[in-house]
Amino acid sequence: MIDLVQTLGSGILVGLVYALLGLCIVIIFKASEAFNFAIGEFLILGSFLFYVLFFNETLPWHRALPLGALIFLFFSYVLFFDISARFLIALPSGLVTGFLIFCVLFFGLNLPSLVPSPLLRFIIAFPLGLLAAGIVGSMVERITIKPLLGRSPISMTIVTLGLGFFLRGCIQLIWGSHAYPFFLDLPDITIEMGDFLFLSDPIWAGILSLLTFGLVIVFLFRTRWGLAIRATSEDQAKAMAFGINARFILLIVWAISALCIAVAGIMISNFGALQVGMGFVGLRAIPVVLIGGMDSIGGALVGGVIVGMCEALAGAYLEPMGLIGFKDVAPYILLLIVLFIRPYGLFGTVRIERV
Amino acid sequence: MLSIENLRVVYHDVISVLNGISLEVKDGEVLIIIGANGAGKTTLLRSVSGMIEFYDGDIIEGDIKMDGTSIKGLDATDIMKRYGVTYVMEDRPVFWYLTIEENLGAASFSRWDKRVKADMEEVFGYFPVLRPMKGKRAGYASGGEQQMLAIGMALMTKPKILLLDEPSLGLAPLITEELFSIISQLNQTDITIVLVEQNAHAALGIGKRGYVVEMGRIVLDGTAQELLENEDVREFYLGSGKKERKSYKDAKRYKRRKRWL
Ligand SMILES: Nc1ncnc2c1ncn2[C@@H]1O[C@H](COP(=O)(O)OP(=O)(O)O)[C@@H](O)[C@H]1O
Ligand SMILES: [Mg+2]
Repeated sequence: MIDLVQTLGSGILVGLVYALLGLCIVIIFKASEAFNFAIGEFLILGSFLFYVLFFNETLPWHRALPLGALIFLFFSYVLFFDISARFLIALPSGLVTGFLIFCVLFFGLNLPSLVPSPLLRFIIAFPLGLLAAGIVGSMVERITIKPLLGRSPISMTIVTLGLGFFLRGCIQLIWGSHAYPFFLDLPDITIEMGDFLFLSDPIWAGILSLLTFGLVIVFLFRTRWGLAIRATSEDQAKAMAFGINARFILLIVWAISALCIAVAGIMISNFGALQVGMGFVGLRAIPVVLIGGMDSIGGALVGGVIVGMCEALAGAYLEPMGLIGFKDVAPYILLLIVLFIRPYGLFGTVRIERV
Repeated sequence: MLSIENLRVVYHDVISVLNGISLEVKDGEVLIIIGANGAGKTTLLRSVSGMIEFYDGDIIEGDIKMDGTSIKGLDATDIMKRYGVTYVMEDRPVFWYLTIEENLGAASFSRWDKRVKADMEEVFGYFPVLRPMKGKRAGYASGGEQQMLAIGMALMTKPKILLLDEPSLGLAPLITEELFSIISQLNQTDITIVLVEQNAHAALGIGKRGYVVEMGRIVLDGTAQELLENEDVREFYLGSGKKERKSYKDAKRYKRRKRWL
């Protein structure tokens, strides 16, 4: 019995991280009906961006310089063509941004020497890393997704497939494919009560994921930007007709999604080490959203927790029976069962039907 | 003044829908555009509002001007914000899964300010039926209520020109009458109205001037009175007038039209 509670508890904590991954898929799906298959790559990318800031990882100049130049080109282009700033403003601001990025990548932010306390360092680097992830997310959206607005969602989905391979290649080129040690050194909040033991890292992961999840929901349901996102999610054409810039909203959605994926990525990296091969964890989002319902935010939470528990149970009770690796398959088997019973997932939207 | 000059629009680079339409909307008037299904009325409004690109349509010739400046090719949001042109799409463009209040809020996104709450009250003043149900999802409202909400949402954008696409579609005659009386009331408050309708009789009742569109061309224009008395209009849009077709050519064109739809 104690064993069961212990297993379920750990499962729920990991499940909350999965729920966050599910949320990222769901908000993009709601906004553009496309499935983001590049989620694993966004996950590694977000973790690496945080890693660069937190651990002061620098790049040699022949990697930092092209990236800086790329940022310069991109920012000038966006400022000039999308925001229609004047050329004299667009070019220098792009230059400054590119140079700043280059400096951070080449010289590092030097947080470890500036801020000795690891917690404080985390509190500074975490939002910065997330911001960076959000910006990269919106860059990717601007380049690959935006031109497809109004086209079939299938083409968008396929683009994300290719995007995944491309991003993975880029990450490998920039940071190589070896493992980076990842240790956040957050305050120890291990819970040890009688026979129960919950480790500090999973608890942090659960708390931060839940917090992020909550913040996204507050953003979606309590702010006017959230209202615009929900309106656009329902119908892009109608939203545009009423003065909501659907293109920009889609960009915001991708930024939020990339940001949340980064949170999940950082938490997952913290369980072990960070390396390119870790991307497959992102695909855990597939059973999560399919079980919960592709277009249900609450479903993502429930689905995440269910997948987490299922995995933990399979790991604790089935694997010892000789089924090594069953832990990774169990969520998919559960998924099949759920889909047999409810093809739209547990919480798929109740469509409003009228005649 | 909104003027459309020799507009030609194609969808997907090959389907030619508007074949050189020219018309003029004078400030403060109610302009009626009538035409059969597939004549290109919706396409015309999409072009004016900047939405055409979203449907993979292109303006390949001609120009759209607001008070002399071209608004062709601008973003839908830009056209709405800068020139006050708001397009109420056909088929009651409300967000089904948002409440009525949220719908009005979403429509005021482009101009969010302190006056939004007051403007919402004003909309509820025009459409009192909406007030008691403002917490209800718009998808559960009746057709008439949805159309009223759609027009209310358009009002939240503070339009100078309102493009209404078949607002009476699928509504009971009594509701249509109410709707049209509110539309002419809105016109009193200095909002120019372009009303696209198949319900020619009711529409010509509140408009002074009208155009008849057929196969992407203007085939007739005149005052509401002239149109109401015109024999072709009576035959094709009012369901009265001479029973036998005027010429074989016309009849054939209508048959062919239907097959392509
Ligand atoms: N997105 C589209 N792609 C291709 N053809 C279209 C599209 N929208 C409308 N059409 C075609 O354009 C013609 C005119 O349509 P529309 O402007 O909707 O007419 P109306 O509003 O007068 O009924 C129709 O033949 C229709 O099939
Ligand atoms: Mg139409």
